[in-house]
Amino acid sequence: MQVFNAFLKVMKRRMTSALIYVIVFLAISFSFANSKSQEKVFKSTKLNVAVLDEDNTPESKALTDFIGTKHNLKQIEKDENIIKDALYWGITVDYVMEIRQGFSQKLEAKEYDDLFGNYHVHDGFSDALMEQLLNEYITAVGTYQASGMTTSDAMKHTADALSVESSVELADKNSEQQNSDFTEEFSAYFRYMPYILLSVLISVLCPVLLAMSRKNIRYRTNCSSFKTSAYTFQIFLGSMIFVIGIWLIFMIAGTIMNGGIFRGKTWLAVLNSFIFSILSAAIAVLIAEFHPSDTAINLATQVIGLGMSFLCGIFVPHIYLSSGVLKAARFMPAYWYVKANNMIAGIDTFSSKEVAVCFLIQSAFLLAVALLAALVHRTNYSASAQLNK
Amino acid sequence: MEKTVVKIENLVKRYGELLALDHFNLEIKEGEIFGLLGPNGSGKTTTINCLLSLLTFDKGNIEIFGKKMTPVSYDIKKEIGIIMQDVAVFEELTVLENIDYFCGLYIRDKALRKQYIEEAVKFVGLEDFLKFYPKKLSGGLLRRLNIACGIAHKPKLIILDEPTVAVDPQSRNKILEGIEELNRNGATVIYTSHYMEEVEQLCTRIAIMDKGKKIAEGTKDELKRMIKNTETVSIDILNLPDEVKSEISALPHIYDTIYNGEKLTVYCSGGKHNLIRILDVLQKKDLSFGRVYTELPTLNDVFLEITGKALRDKEE
Repeated sequence: MQVFNAFLKVMKRRMTSALIYVIVFLAISFSFANSKSQEKVFKSTKLNVAVLDEDNTPESKALTDFIGTKHNLKQIEKDENIIKDALYWGITVDYVMEIRQGFSQKLEAKEYDDLFGNYHVHDGFSDALMEQLLNEYITAVGTYQASGMTTSDAMKHTADALSVESSVELADKNSEQQNSDFTEEFSAYFRYMPYILLSVLISVLCPVLLAMSRKNIRYRTNCSSFKTSAYTFQIFLGSMIFVIGIWLIFMIAGTIMNGGIFRGKTWLAVLNSFIFSILSAAIAVLIAEFHPSDTAINLATQVIGLGMSFLCGIFVPHIYLSSGVLKAARFMPAYWYVKANNMIAGIDTFSSKEVAVCFLIQSAFLLAVALLAALVHRTNYSASAQLNK
Repeated sequence: MEKTVVKIENLVKRYGELLALDHFNLEIKEGEIFGLLGPNGSGKTTTINCLLSLLTFDKGNIEIFGKKMTPVSYDIKKEIGIIMQDVAVFEELTVLENIDYFCGLYIRDKALRKQYIEEAVKFVGLEDFLKFYPKKLSGGLLRRLNIACGIAHKPKLIILDEPTVAVDPQSRNKILEGIEELNRNGATVIYTSHYMEEVEQLCTRIAIMDKGKKIAEGTKDELKRMIKNTETVSIDILNLPDEVKSEISALPHIYDTIYNGEKLTVYCSGGKHNLIRILDVLQKKDLSFGRVYTELPTLNDVFLEITGKALRDKEE
């Protein structure tokens, strides 16, 4: 395995850029997944509310205590300037309410108007939230009173009734279609993968293949007693091990992130990414056949990686792309990768037939790129034989 | 009787309309250092490539070690080492890894390979540079690494294709000494070059190629005997009268005289005491002269006379 060992040694010297791509991608993916999972816990908003109790009765205290269960109570002096400073500049309170004198008497008399005064910034949000809460409270008290309860009992029952928290679950936009084993962040992980695969495979595999096929080295190798078929096989083996190795790193990271990758329809996304990995390697081989310089390889990495990513829906979802761009994108393999990924993730309607078509089209691209690479190789070989005189 | 290592018969190679090798014949015996001389485009490299089966040819036959050479003659290739003009090593591998890689293309046995690598490293004197990457090596050391990669597997036939191009004189001498040592150790050497002095110093037999043909072959002395010129006499002299020049030209064994106003050059073909006879004419005419020197013919004279052109291109 002489050629294979040399291939790996040369690759080792070129691995820095691949590691940077992989580490950055995985770091971003993990942080993205964590931030998304935090967003899924529902938490009702709490305002900073100051209560100025002018009534100072058990009823007004009961209301103040109730507000304290829903929002954060703050102390404030009853001075208009201090209140305005707190509201406008200090940002220590969002809403200042006043329980007007005669609050308990008015409740007893079932008069519900002008019970409260308030100071607030007209941001709409805190104002509406507090007014909604107070209206809800007074309406409930009135209802209990109407049923024959005393004011204090009505207030007690109201506080109990409004303290019940609703169970809230955040549903995704397409929750009915969404594949529960293929979460949004996991589908995004697979969606961004082609960019990294293209970048890593072109930027690493190309220089290694070029080093192995450098004219003089190839000449010396061809002069040796090492069989050409064994040489080609060992280069192929080295390339495949690198490609599968990179792909496996992503799959292992995906398993850690998602807690499994072969559940439900997720295995289809795994297969999709595998086909695209091999296709990316074929693209790298094709580029290497043109014997580009290091600068040209970097340029090709950016143009192909970023170009496909922007046009085919990797960075920008298909729904935001114009029909013209999507039509052009159909001529690029990444479009079919993203299309399959969207169907598997439930973003688009899932159809096993259409997913299979996407796989077949990517495989056709793979075959075409491999044949083109073989053709260029043959042309180069003939040309060098002609010039080698 | 010496064994024939390389036998090329009636080799014809065409690149489209261009006839690169024109019924080329060659026979190299075991233990020889065989020089293949010729200007650029004469067909030296094409011959080597055909010999190694890297190029197909239109007609002819090639045998190495008595067996027909084909692209899949791996048993023959195992006994051949190649050292090219351009350094062929991996920049990404260390000196040791490079030698190990190229030796490993021939020798599978790890223990034997290790022994061979150690011997090759010692032979080229790279013991202190084993962990160095080629970029860190000087031009001379890089050439030595190139040679180590070509000979580590102890080939019986070593082909050196202009290995000293753009090499400093000290490294060149080391390389030439190394080639002689390889030959003393039993290797047959094919050496292509357009450096006449190297070929003259090194090779036991020489073939001169031009336009795809072998135009002369033999030892250096045999080649020199093929040409008219046997001695060139040069005399620094001012104001040489035409009648004196004519008198010198009329002397026996002298076939040409050239006078440029400062130096008289006399070309002799055979004969003895040519210098004494020329000086005798000048003394009789009471002409004073300066430096006098004679030169025996070189391979360059051979090449010049046979092909009508210098071996090296002007820019070289």
